[in-house]
Amino acid sequence: MAIAAADTRCRCETLGVSAEAAAILLAFAMRESETPAVELGSALERLGRELRPAVGAPGPEALTRELAACVRALQFHDRLMQQLAVIRNLLTRLADHPLPQMAGFGAQRWEELLSALRERLATGSHDELFELLVRTGGVGVAGGAGGEQAEGSSELF
Amino acid sequence: MARILAVDDSPSMRQLVKLALSSGGHQVDVATDGVEALQVAERQQFDVVITDVNMPNMDGISLVRELRRRKNYRFVPLLMLTTESTAERKQQGKEAGATGWLVKPFDPDRLLSIVTKVLT
Repeated sequence: MAIAAADTRCRCETLGVSAEAAAILLAFAMRESETPAVELGSALERLGRELRPAVGAPGPEALTRELAACVRALQFHDRLMQQLAVIRNLLTRLADHPLPQMAGFGAQRWEELLSALRERLATGSHDELFELLVRTGGVGVAGGAGGEQAEGSSELF
Repeated sequence: MARILAVDDSPSMRQLVKLALSSGGHQVDVATDGVEALQVAERQQFDVVITDVNMPNMDGISLVRELRRRKNYRFVPLLMLTTESTAERKQQGKEAGATGWLVKPFDPDRLLSIVTKVLT
């Protein structure tokens, strides 16, 4: 009995340490990719200025189209950063408040673990992302969580 | 040419909004969150404010609410530019006083045409 309890505590500590390590690694990776993304944005800004002979004047059509494609594509980096930030925050919370009642990752405990994690999600979008990750093991080809059909949409009130 | 304030905590998003709108001849200033945006908006008057929703210190919905309390921003178009697209969040934005809700990723031409539309 005592051995089983000690084993449970040990697994929970391992889980906490793993979650903390994962959160730190994610934070480093996010920080590392921020500078190149900003450099790319600056380069696009400079290209945009070079393409326009005068303020507000149209640039060469084909190159302007290519530039617009770059602007759209680079926004997916921002989206990735947001999603990673959600996961990082989730891992940090898990590390800060370990789940003592969880003995492991067996199927019997899995639903309990998911339910405990769901309670710690801050917003609807985090919830959507979490459900997507849990359901598919990854983000789909089209990206986005739940609201992907609304991508690029606009609505004036 | 309009004076536009773009608010986003992501540096690359600020650059992209600035790039898209300055190609239309607009003058774009930037702020990193709602608190900084309020300070900038108090120093100078903008014709349009485009803000992200999820930001540290002060989110975009609170920023819109705060700006609408100020007499000089009561009728200024305030656009939300965000990855969020749930009806609940849109409703919150609308109630706070937002003029429109744009979902990222944006198309530069589309953003420009929306800004033109809200300015007329």
